[in-house]
Amino acid sequence: MIKVALYFLFIFSTFLYSETYYEFDDVENEARFYNLIKEIRCPKCTSGSLASSNAPVSEDLKKVISQMIVEGKSDAEIKNYISDRFGKDTLYDTPVEPNTYVLWYSPFIFLTFCLIIFFIRERAK
Amino acid sequence: MKQILKILVFIVPICIFAFFYTYLSKDNSYPGADYRVFEIPSFALTELYTETELSNEDLSGNFLINVWASWCITCRVEHGFLEKLSNNGVRIIGLNYKDDRIDAVDWLKKYRDPYELIIHDLNGSLALDMGVTGAPETFLISNGKVIAHYRGEVNQMIWEDVFIETIKDSEIIL
Repeated sequence: MIKVALYFLFIFSTFLYSETYYEFDDVENEARFYNLIKEIRCPKCTSGSLASSNAPVSEDLKKVISQMIVEGKSDAEIKNYISDRFGKDTLYDTPVEPNTYVLWYSPFIFLTFCLIIFFIRERAK
Repeated sequence: MKQILKILVFIVPICIFAFFYTYLSKDNSYPGADYRVFEIPSFALTELYTETELSNEDLSGNFLINVWASWCITCRVEHGFLEKLSNNGVRIIGLNYKDDRIDAVDWLKKYRDPYELIIHDLNGSLALDMGVTGAPETFLISNGKVIAHYRGEVNQMIWEDVFIETIKDSEIIL
């Protein structure tokens, strides 16, 4: 009976599950960490974020990010570190640059184009 | 006004066609290929067989770095092609990625060793700095600089379209 109780104690004791993988000195940094890994794409499995991935490279990157946060690096520095190594497409938030102008501005150009046609047609009526 | 609309009906589809044609018919459209040039990050690791220390100074000239591991199935598929390259005189340096030393040595004993030198990167630290996402991956190095990087298995087609092209463009001798 005592044996069974002990088994249960071990199986359900929270201390066995309480091992934290990433350690931070304050809650704010921890929140930053979880925010960052959602904003960075996993380089191995490009349809998911680092947070959703347990690929070896994602585990390494998460460890590096947590270390950089503890060292006091800014979010921009961390993102640069990763995009330098794995390319700009690892960032979900695409930067506005000459080679992404088409991506960012083409919807607006298309929209104005449609509006112009719409008004021309209205006038013609 | 109607005239303009009539002309637009012809012009717009032509523009769309031209746009997609130019963007989709570009050469080198392999998603795994990356042509960013960067220096080999500094590292201090050991050789797989001899466990002697290795650093950037031990790498010189023009060669390939092939990232592999004994747990990697695609590396087994790629192995035959690497051996062929090695027999043709291409220098290949292995980067053993997150692998047990004994497993790696056994794997090479079983399937033969095409590598000139093998860097044992147990924690994947050099690999992380080089932008390795997994195995296999292959880098083309010219005098300490990465000039091409391919993520995935290298076969005859990839070799010709990605590596030979880069070698020709940069006018190096492998």
